[in-house]
Order: sequence, then structure tokens, then C-alpha cells
Amino acid sequence: MPPREEVIVVGNTKVHLLIGGQGDPLLVLHGAGGNRGWRRWMAAVGEHYTVYAPTHPGFGRSDAADWMESIDDLARFYLWFLDVMGLSKVHLLGHSIGGWTAAELATMRPGVIDRLVLVSPTGLKPDEGEIRDIFFYPPEELLEYTVHDPTTVPEWAELFGGKPGLEEIEGALRNREMAARLTWKPYMFNPRLAHFLPRVQNPTLIVWGREDQIVPLICGEQYRRLLPNATLRVLERCGHLPPIERPDVFANLVLDFLRRA
Amino acid sequence: MKLYYFSEMPHHEFPDAEGDKYPSLRLAFPNTFFSPEIAHRNYQRYLDEYDFADQAGFDGLMINEHHSTPSCVNVSANMTTGILARTTKRAKLLILGNILPIQENPIQVAEQVAMADLISGGRVLSGFVRGVGVESWWANTNPVHNRERFEECHDLIIKCWTTPGPFRWEGRHYHFRHVNPWCLPLQKPYPPIWVPGTASPETAVWAGRMGYTYVPFLVSFEVARELFDFYRQGAAEAGRTVTPDKLGFLICAVTADSKAKALQAGRNFVWRMGPTLRGPLEYFSPVGMRSRAASQFALKARSVSLSKMSYEELVENYYIVAGTPDEVVDRFARVQKELGIGHLLLEAQESRMDHATTMRSIELMGKSVIPAMTRI
Repeated sequence: MPPREEVIVVGNTKVHLLIGGQGDPLLVLHGAGGNRGWRRWMAAVGEHYTVYAPTHPGFGRSDAADWMESIDDLARFYLWFLDVMGLSKVHLLGHSIGGWTAAELATMRPGVIDRLVLVSPTGLKPDEGEIRDIFFYPPEELLEYTVHDPTTVPEWAELFGGKPGLEEIEGALRNREMAARLTWKPYMFNPRLAHFLPRVQNPTLIVWGREDQIVPLICGEQYRRLLPNATLRVLERCGHLPPIERPDVFANLVLDFLRRA
Repeated sequence: MKLYYFSEMPHHEFPDAEGDKYPSLRLAFPNTFFSPEIAHRNYQRYLDEYDFADQAGFDGLMINEHHSTPSCVNVSANMTTGILARTTKRAKLLILGNILPIQENPIQVAEQVAMADLISGGRVLSGFVRGVGVESWWANTNPVHNRERFEECHDLIIKCWTTPGPFRWEGRHYHFRHVNPWCLPLQKPYPPIWVPGTASPETAVWAGRMGYTYVPFLVSFEVARELFDFYRQGAAEAGRTVTPDKLGFLICAVTADSKAKALQAGRNFVWRMGPTLRGPLEYFSPVGMRSRAASQFALKARSVSLSKMSYEELVENYYIVAGTPDEVVDRFARVQKELGIGHLLLEAQESRMDHATTMRSIELMGKSVIPAMTRI
């Protein structure tokens, strides 16, 4: 089923939302790069689940939320979002800062989540190494660190191949500004999160790219250790964007995991 | 027109080829190239030059602050001002300025500026700046809050100087339960406030609204006039009349006994036009620091980057003034005529300009240029 676009209001904030597919609800929270639209992996997962893919406040065409300060603000916002949508229980999937948001949300109200999928999430301070400072690099250089091998990315041309128009440039700038607003200090982690993660008993799938140059793989191992029911799957020849770099493998991993519910 | 002496206190005693290996001299160039022995000598020298500028008759001494860069190792404007407050006798001490958005404790800034004002006998001019992006990285202050923090920090400092303590401050970015600084400025209600500008129309409008002295740095006459128009717009909103005393301008300048010597010395300013500003946009203007209006204005204001201009073009277009005292007087008079300003700030030492050249320039300014300025 093709996705439809909706605008819903949470508090005073209008949020753009893609809804597609059929089946039990799966809420998808995007990363710092913004909502990349209805992607190939979503279409595959959407054959069995209804995918809700909102654009975070401050990102893309959603309303600004300059009052927000941190990722746990965003997590609380999505708890409210679920209330507004009338979704009492969802599978929750988040990528990068969306994964961090999903993890925070799970620590706040684990009962609202069925199964949890964390894809290359930020949120924890690496035991070794550092999370790359994404705000320190020009976007084109950052993309080189983000994707392992562009030639293997099926949707590369569509996502990154063209020269961006004014609207896209403005959108990318908004995305970066809001990501900076939420993650600047401590950079990309919450020192308290590790203490709350053991509360999350939900079955959790953690997915990481072996070649991730943004968030070190060791963070995946830390999440696995801290979450009582978590499995870590590492994709070879893959960077920080598993859903984009390996869409078919990724979709199958997600489907296999969710079907066990 | 009043003249101000300014040195960035550079630390340019390293091979340029080493600096070229890194994305920028700011943030990225390792401090293994910093020499404490050289810096010790430099600080003594730079402070001597400031003292001499006071003796030579400059109306003011401008003091600034940067971080993580060899282009300016004056890492504390207030510390330098405290020293000069004691060693100089008559010049105004223009702190331009305290970088407000990166401050964690505005009350301490209020105290330090007040203390310098007290030591100097009321000679401080208190500049407030937003800083370049490098300073936000240095302090790890979120650049998306830069303007909000600038204004809130300013508001709290002014309140410290105008409202008897103790009082409480609960803002968005600053929270203090017991504000009661036991150090207040000699000048009442507080030292004159100055604000620099390079590209932000909002800052110019704000400075005009507040009635502060506004100083564009190293821009073309055309851009300076546009910024002054924004300033006047803000002043008009607040019902203020703009006098030349509220407008300043900053350029680089050196004089010498011959034109050839001055032009040779002036080449030292090229370093600050290019190599020290080289680097990714993200270093200088991190995400969220500039508004869309400021970004667009910056593109226009710097349609031709200073680094792309030849030395001759920089001289031709008044970014650098280098000549005999008579020539310098003529050039300064032209600047005043073009912009209608009351203050001309001279970056008068830079890069590898040696002590003797700097001192001779200060001496000649004092003998021949400053007296002529009283007629302009």
C-alpha cells in the first residue's frame, strides 16, 4: 500500500507524518539527516506492518520546537504523539539519534512498546573511541564517513545523486540546526541513560554496520550488555546507514525479529 | 576622530608550511607549535607596545580575545585590560570584547570589567561580542543558542551594574539564586558599551536600538554603510539620534619614515586576511550560529574574500593603510569622510611585524597623525 502524508498536531506542534503499509503499527524515528521519505526497506516492512514515519519537530517541514533542549525532550514528545495517534502499543524502530530517542522513550514507558529496534543509535558514551562530530564537517565530507560504499547503495542516485534545490538545502540546514539543538553537549550521549536501560525488558534488536565511522560499534555492544533482552546484529560492508546501505538485508532482519512477537 | 591602537598578540613564530598542512590555523593546528619561551617574550613586547601607544597619545587601546589560534594568543581580554589599567595612564581601554555567548558566568564578567574600570580610574569601554564560531567550539557552547545567550548574558551584566543586589536571575540560559557583586564600575551607570559587526544585520539593529557604539570590522565602505543603515534603523525605532561618536570602523594601519618601509611593514597584515581565516565554514560559522539574514548578508559582504585580494587591492580598498604619516592622515580623513565615524580602530601590529617597526609606527602616529585627527 503506498504511503500517505498527514500532518498531525501534538501540543502546539504540527508534525509531518508518512503512514504506509498494513498490519501492526511500527513507529520509525529518523536520524540527524532527517526524514528521507518512503524508502525501499519501508516498503518491504510495510507489507506486514503499518509504518508510521514522522518528521521530528524542528526537522524538515515539521514545526519548529526551539524550546526543546535534549533527546529526552524528543522522547517525551513521542510519548505524547502516541497518545494523539491513539496508539497504545507499537513496535519502535529508531536510527542514530532516532535510535537514541527510542531508547530514552523505552526507559520512560517500556509498556507502550512491543518490540524495539535500535539501528546504530547514539546515546551512550563509547567505552573506547569517540562518536564522530558530525557538525564539524562539511556535509559532503560527512557523507563520505557516513556511507561505507556508495556503489552498493541501491537508492544512492535518488537520495544523494542530484544537486539539491533551495528547498532541500533549507531542509538540510533545519535538520542540522535541530540536531545540534538536541545533541550538542554532552555530544550525542546522555550520561544517565546507561543507568535506566536495564529497565527495558522488551525484546530488542540492535543493528550496526561493521564499517560505521560515525558511531563506534562498541556502542552496540554496550547497548546489548545494558538491555536485558537484546541481540546485536552486525552487517558487513556497511556504514552508519544500514537501512539505506543494505535495505533488503535490513528489512529481512527487521521482519524476522518483529514476526517473533 | 579618535584613534585606537590594537594588537591581536599573534604567535607567528612557526614555519608557514607547517600550518598549511592542517585544515585551518584555528582549532586544528596543534599547539605543539606554541612556544612558551617565545610567548613569554611576546607578551612583554606586546604589553610594552600598548604602554607606548598610551604615551604616544592614542585615544584608546583596543583589546580583544580569541582561542585555539596562533593569530591571537590574547586569551583573556579582561586580564590584559587589568594589566593595562595599571600600567597606562590616560588612554581609554576598549575591551572589544568579552565574548558573551560562551560565558558560563555573566556575573564574573560584570565583576572583572568593573574591577578594570575601578583600577583604571574609569577608562574602560566595555565591548560585547558574539564571537566567531571557533570560540563556540572552544567553549563547547551550542551555536544555536548564540544570539539568545548573547542577549541574556548582556541583560544580566547590565542588571548587575544597575540593580542593587541581592537579586535572583532565572533566565533561559543563566540561573543564579544570589546575585550581589561586590565590585561595581566607577563609571555611572556603567562603562560605555561597544559592539562590533561584520555581517549580522540583527546585531547592527540591536546596537542601534540600545544606543551602543557600533564598529564594523574590515568590510568595504559600501558594506559598512549598509550596516550603519541597519544601526540607524534600530536607533530610530528607539527614538535615538545617531552621532559620529556612536560609529566606529576598524582597519589595519602602519606608518613609517618612508612609503617603501610602510608598504613593506603593511604586508604583515595580509596574514590576517587569508591564512588565519582559512578553514571549513563549520569552524567559523557552525550550524545555527548565524540567522538566514546574516548568512545572506555575509555572502554579499564577502562576495570577494579578503584572502583572494592582492596586497595592492587590500591597500587600494582601505582594508590596509600603509604610508608616511602625511599619507596616512589623508587616508584616515577619507575613511572619516566616507563613513562619518567618530572612532577609527587601528589593528597596528600583526604577524611578523617586528618590535622596532611597530614602535616607530606608534611614535609617528603620536607625533604626526593623532594631532591631525583632532581636526577631522
